[in-house]
Amino acid sequence: MIQLLGFQPGYMPGDELVFQYKLVSIDPTAILAIEASVVWFTEGKGNEDLGVHFFQRLTREAITDRDFSQPQLISTLLPESPISYEGRLLKIRWCIRVRLYLNDGTDLVAQEPFYLGTVTKEL
Amino acid sequence: MSRFFRLYGKKRGHRMTGWWLAGRVGEAFWFAAICVLGVLSLSTMLVWQVLSPNTHAYGVGYGFWLLVLISSSFIGIGAVGFFYRVLSAAYSDEHRSALASKSIVEHGKSATNLISLPPMVPNLQPFTDSPGVRLAFRLPGNRPETRELVLGSLFVLAWNALTVFCSVLALGKLFSRQPDWFLILFILPLFFFIGFRVTRWFFLAFRRATGIGPTTIEIDDLPLTIGEMYRLNLVQYGRLVVKKLSIALVCEEVATYHFGTDTRTERQEVYRRPVLEQGRCRIDWGRPLELVCEFCLPDDAMHSFQSPHNAVAWKFVVEGEANRWPSYCRSFPVVVYPRGPKMNRRAALS
Repeated sequence: MIQLLGFQPGYMPGDELVFQYKLVSIDPTAILAIEASVVWFTEGKGNEDLGVHFFQRLTREAITDRDFSQPQLISTLLPESPISYEGRLLKIRWCIRVRLYLNDGTDLVAQEPFYLGTVTKEL
Repeated sequence: MSRFFRLYGKKRGHRMTGWWLAGRVGEAFWFAAICVLGVLSLSTMLVWQVLSPNTHAYGVGYGFWLLVLISSSFIGIGAVGFFYRVLSAAYSDEHRSALASKSIVEHGKSATNLISLPPMVPNLQPFTDSPGVRLAFRLPGNRPETRELVLGSLFVLAWNALTVFCSVLALGKLFSRQPDWFLILFILPLFFFIGFRVTRWFFLAFRRATGIGPTTIEIDDLPLTIGEMYRLNLVQYGRLVVKKLSIALVCEEVATYHFGTDTRTERQEVYRRPVLEQGRCRIDWGRPLELVCEFCLPDDAMHSFQSPHNAVAWKFVVEGEANRWPSYCRSFPVVVYPRGPKMNRRAALS
């Protein structure tokens, strides 16, 4: 479960993004690694592009030291660009993504979108 | 058993049915096999050539070097493909992107955001290379007809050279009393006709490109920032009577995508604001048309954006109509930065 710790899911460039995530109904021993990232990606007619602003990977050793039933707090300063955008051929989206790698070779992904900037519609 | 071993997958939107890892591993093995095949064939050929050059099927010559080239390309393609597949199977999209941008935040350390320039905004350097005469910067122009003219001139030269070569060949045979009538009656007239048409086209295009003189745009500050006011200076050279001349600030989206085996690029204009319009006037050599105006970028504008397959591009478009000339259109790309500290903009210029 990912939770943004702001009143609205909208931020301005340079703002501090604070979020927390916790694992519910998953046995921590079944997890190989956890990746938490703040990413932007494009949608639309063109091939998808992805950029990472923040990335944190926790391996099994780091996981055993922590209690993931408690919220894991992360904060990062948001960049100036690219801001969220909804155009005709192209959309730019921001989200927080948490990816769990399980022992059986599969992965689980949870993501929470948010807006960066105030241009969220086409001009 | 078919639950566990599926021979083929189906594409469902952006995802495939079946286990993605099996496909990646299969692709990795395929590229590894190509690489191994290349290594084996290259090493066999080289060792054979060194140890027993007399019994080698291909002596050192075209055939030998062709096989070396093919084996080397197998090694290259296989190694790159294998490495890429292993990387994509072992790391998530985010991890690969983070590795590429070297922005991994180590465990236990706080995130650092030492960004001096806005990310994913095009480089400003090409736009600030030319200082202006009247204002700070002269914008680089983009004239599509120049490339057409250069490529066209190369074709005209090559075609006419071929025609001359064929003519010399035909004359040589004619003088040696072995005339090639097929060449003289059918091939040469066709070559001369096409040569005449393309040469005519070239001179018309050359006259059109050089007759309407160059257009320059200068601006008082770069990069452009959303919400700020700027001065613009346009100079149109040449010797013509302009019926209408306009400058517009245009934003367009550019998307590159794969369609089958093709790579296509689509452009869509999403914003156009007229900056200046000029009515009928006369331009002469030594007396160019000079226009000055001010403009402001809208508050809700998107900044310039450039990623591998998508872009938001801003430019000034100059469109003109002149007496006895076809209408013309010239564009001058600019970079629009998001709102941010002035320091960042200065850093971009330094």
